[in-house]
Parts: sequence; C-alpha cells; structure tokens
Amino acid sequence: MDVKPTAYSARVLDHFQNPRNVGVLEGENVAVGKVGNPVCGDLMEIFIKVVDDRIADIKFRTFGCGSAIATSSMITEMAKGKTLDEAMKITRQDVATELEGLPPRKMHCSNLAADALHAAIQNYRASRGETIPMESVATEPETKVFVGEEAFIGKGVFYSVDDPALLKDQRVLVLDSGPTSAILSQDLMNYTDRVIFLTSDTPDDAAKTAELLKQAGVKVLFQSRLKEIKGHDEVEKVLIHDLAENDDYELVVDAVVILRGACDAEG
Amino acid sequence: MMSVYLDYQSAKPLDPRVMEAMLPYFNEEFGNPSSLHEEGDAASTALEDARRTVAAWINATPEEIVFTSGATEANNLALIGYAFRNRDRGNHIIISEIEHISIHNIAKYLERNGFRVSRVPVDRYGRVSLSRLEARITPDTILVSVGYASNEIGTIQPVPEIGALARSKGIAFHSDGVAAEGLLGIDVQRDGVDLLSLSANDIYGPRGVGALYVRQGVRLNPQIIGGGQERGLRSGSENVPGIVGMAQAAAIMAREMAVEVPRLGAYRDRLISGVLSAIPHCFLNGHPQERLANNAHFRFQGIEGESLLLSLKREGISAMTGSACTAKTLEPSHTLMSIGLLHEEAHGSLEFTCGRFTREEDIDRVLEVLPGIVERLRKVSPIYQGNEG
Repeated sequence: MDVKPTAYSARVLDHFQNPRNVGVLEGENVAVGKVGNPVCGDLMEIFIKVVDDRIADIKFRTFGCGSAIATSSMITEMAKGKTLDEAMKITRQDVATELEGLPPRKMHCSNLAADALHAAIQNYRASRGETIPMESVATEPETKVFVGEEAFIGKGVFYSVDDPALLKDQRVLVLDSGPTSAILSQDLMNYTDRVIFLTSDTPDDAAKTAELLKQAGVKVLFQSRLKEIKGHDEVEKVLIHDLAENDDYELVVDAVVILRGACDAEG
Repeated sequence: MMSVYLDYQSAKPLDPRVMEAMLPYFNEEFGNPSSLHEEGDAASTALEDARRTVAAWINATPEEIVFTSGATEANNLALIGYAFRNRDRGNHIIISEIEHISIHNIAKYLERNGFRVSRVPVDRYGRVSLSRLEARITPDTILVSVGYASNEIGTIQPVPEIGALARSKGIAFHSDGVAAEGLLGIDVQRDGVDLLSLSANDIYGPRGVGALYVRQGVRLNPQIIGGGQERGLRSGSENVPGIVGMAQAAAIMAREMAVEVPRLGAYRDRLISGVLSAIPHCFLNGHPQERLANNAHFRFQGIEGESLLLSLKREGISAMTGSACTAKTLEPSHTLMSIGLLHEEAHGSLEFTCGRFTREEDIDRVLEVLPGIVERLRKVSPIYQGNEG
C-alpha cells in the first residue's frame, strides 16, 4: 500500500495549523541551530535561551511542508524547561512518536527538528568555550576556466556586456567578480526579469550588496560556484556547486556573464 | 463549508449528459462489436458512430482513430510503436523538456532499448524554441514529440510551426493533446500532426478511455497483441460504453467550447490579477498570454507548496503544487526546473485549474482566503525576505 505523503495524524495537523513558539530569540545566552536547505525543500531554525543549563525559552522558524512545520513546533514544546543534556537526548523518533507518527516518506526528509535543536545546543556550548569537534569542510580551489566555457563564447558566454538589450528576456547568470558585476546585475533587471548572481561569499560577507541586489529583484546564490556550462550549440544549462551542502545541481539559463577584466582591474 | 474544486488538471468529473449516453451500453446494448448477431451489430454501429464523432472533432477521418485505455497508452503506442516500426530509418527521437512525465519515462525506456533521445529546452515561459529544436535534428531523427500545451504551467506550444518544421525534414510529429483538448482547437491537418494522444476524462468523459490519432500512411507496431481489434493496432474487446462516452464528451465540447473557453479565461484572469495584486513576492509561472484558458500557476517566495495545499484543504479548496514534498520522488516538478527555477522556488508553487463546473464564487473564495494563508505561513518561514528588517 502506498501511503500518501500528506496522510498526517491529527496531532501533526494541529501543530501545523497552530504552531507553538514561532519566532526568533536574541540577546544574552541565546544560540541558534539551523539545518536543511531550501534546495531540498526544508529549512529550520531553532533558537534557545539557556538559563542555569536549562532551556528557558525556545522559538523556531521553518520553511517546509506540513510535517516540517509540525515537527519543529512539537520539539519546542518537548525541549522547553529541559536541561541541555536531556534535550540532547531527544531523537527524531521521539518527535515522530509524540506526533502520533509521520508518513513514511516524511520520516527522513522533513523530520530534522531534533537535528536543529542539537545544533543549537552545540552552538551554545561552543560559544561558552566548551569545544566540540567541528566538521572540517574541504574547499576546492576556485576554477579559473569553467568546463564548457570556451565552447560557448559568443553563444551565451559573455565576457562583457556593452549592450544589455542583447540579453532581453534571457535567463542570465552573472558571476560575482566585484562591484562591477553587481551593478551590471541590477542594470540587467531593466531588460529581463531573471538575473541570478552567483557568489562564493556567505550572506553575512556580502550583506550590503545582497540587499541591493534583492531589492532590484536579482536572485542571489550564496556559497556557490559555477562548475560547468552545458548546452547543445549554445548555453542551455549550468552545473552549480553548493559549497555549504557540498552538492551539485543543474540550473537552466540562457546566458552566463563572466567579467574577468573587472576582477583583474581590482586585484 | 463551501467546497471549491480547482484541480481540473488532475481529474475532471463526468458530465451527466455523458453518463446518460453511456448507460445503455452497460446492459441493454452489451454486445461485442466483433459478433455478427443483432447485439453485435448494435455495438459495432455505436463504436463506428463514436469513431466518426471523435475524428470529426479533430478534423481527422474515422479510419485514423485508434481507441485506447487512455492517453498514457496512446503515448506508449505512438512513441514505442513508431520508434520500433521505423527503426530502419533512424534511431533518434526528440522530445521537449516540458513534456508530461509519461513521455519522459517512455523516452527513457526507448534509450534503454538502443534509441537516442534529445530533449529540447524551453524558454523562461515554457515555450519550446524552434531554433533549438531544429539544431537537434539529425539525418537519424525519425520522430519529434511535443505536446500542445503544458499540463502544469499551461503554456501553449507553437504546434503548427513544429508540425511544419517536422514535415519539411521528413520527420513524424507526435503531440500529446491531453492538456489542451477542450481548451484549444485541435486540427490535425492545420497543425501538421501525424500522431495525437487524447484522453476522454480531460473532456469530461470517463476514465480509462482515450484515443490515438494515426495519420493515414503512418506505420506503428502494436503494443497490445490479441484478437486484432482497432485495425490490429490495439487488441482487446472494445470498451463500448467508455468509447460512446468519449464521443458524447467530444460532441458536447465541439458545441460548447466557443462559450466555455472565454468563460474560463475570465476566471483565470481574475484569479491571476487578484492573487498578484493582493500578495507580495508572488509570481506567475508560465506564459502571460500564451496560456491555457483554465490555468493559473503561481509561486510564492518563502513558503512551500504542500503547506499551502494543507491550509487550503482546511478551507475546502482543492488545488495542486509542483513541490517535491507531495511527489513520490522527492524531486520538484521537472516542468518548473525546465523553465529555470531554483529548487526553493519550485517548492513554493501552487496551481489552480478551473473547469466546466467552476463558478464565480469559487474564485471569490480563493481570493478571500489565500492572502491570509500565505501571510500566516510566511510568519513561520526563516527565508521569507519580507521578514527581514
């Protein structure tokens, strides 16, 4: 029998419809744990405020399906008032059990609330100087010439954009090569509604630029690198490497703008 | 609570007039069309009348209609049947990235059987690019398959242009007509279509019935072998009540489309302008003009489609999403990826499709409750940009 992904228990539906402890926490003795990513459809943030080694207050925000929202809501109720050690012992299965079960397909993809809580506790402890082993993330060296790039020069790969009207109504990927590329991205929004700005920076590194780009309607992809350009005779797709997730995915675009000159001039 | 069904793309109710036409063929006129007695004669007369009606509806001749168990079977017969029968002429087939999942999976099956398949990309609205299609044609290309319209985002394809291109290159052209039937005029002569898949349910006929139009002279290998019904192309005793129902549905559609389509188009336009103006950070997926009269497909920044569906369900509203969270594969809709959306954007999609029994109040109800639902879910979301600052 195929169980529908939305065959939810009454408790799941209740927590989805009336989520407890929605919001953020700030200030002293507060830590946050973030898990998931929007690419797979779920992103959770759990905020804890710790007093005398106990979770005195807890809030969450979640982007995701019904079970993603319900599991985050449920875990805030389960963890509130518990010591950090007790809270570390709450498992994904405990959350699912409290919710009277989850559809099988959702057990893994949308049941990350325990992971988010554990991350918040670890971050809190780390901030207190209680060292915990960190995962080392190997970063690959930045590629100078992208796979496929040379085959598409003049067929969707641009090293300069003298006349943005040529990119009218195109889906354009602009690689971050400093302020010139950010200004060009904003300008291109006058000619097309789809401009994607790809940067290896984190949202915090590039907060100011990102805000301006977002206001112009440019889609910003942080912690990302171009890996490959693909197409039949012209640019049709790119392969993007997500540094945060160490994962590759394809994106359909019509043009790739690589302002190498601008980059050299600055550096 | 008022129940609002706006998922006509997934399933349509049987028109009561169709059911009435079908009923006698379950018991009174139960004969097998192959039998030579009175009962058999009555059934074969009904079958051939139905064939004439369906043929006339798409400007074909009755001999060119093969009844099947639905559009999926029609797609199988068209692509697999054509590819294997015409293998000596070449082994290359072109489909578009935005085809229905059944076409994509048939294409994979053909690849496993030694055929080469190219997938032509679409633009940001979901339209197939003719130049990119032409660039993929090789001397080995024997078949092109591009549907009349997208079942998800409602974008209408330049079918007559594709038909003319295929003909000029001596390549057969198959089109899946399911999303468009009853919403666009289909004329296999005007459009240069050699093979056309149709479903009865999509014109308010019964489930489990469809048809493949096969242009005279186009040769196929049958996929179901047996007693040689349907000129040997589709064996098995004919589903006479279902086929009579499909013909009745086509006859009603032929009479009423001229009034029904503009009515649905007005609902669609109200829904699109109402949602876009009431909800910030919301976008229309698909083509702004070249779209099916019944289709309104949105995406909302910062929220996920399944949570939208659940919230709408609670208000008695039935809709559809392309989010991975409702799919068997945990992948977002391939259609939304093909127009260049990021995963997180595809996850926030919501599709409304109206139909014959939709009323003005249904649209009112959506416009009444949707803005509040979106606002509530965005308050819970960590990635809704409106939450910052």
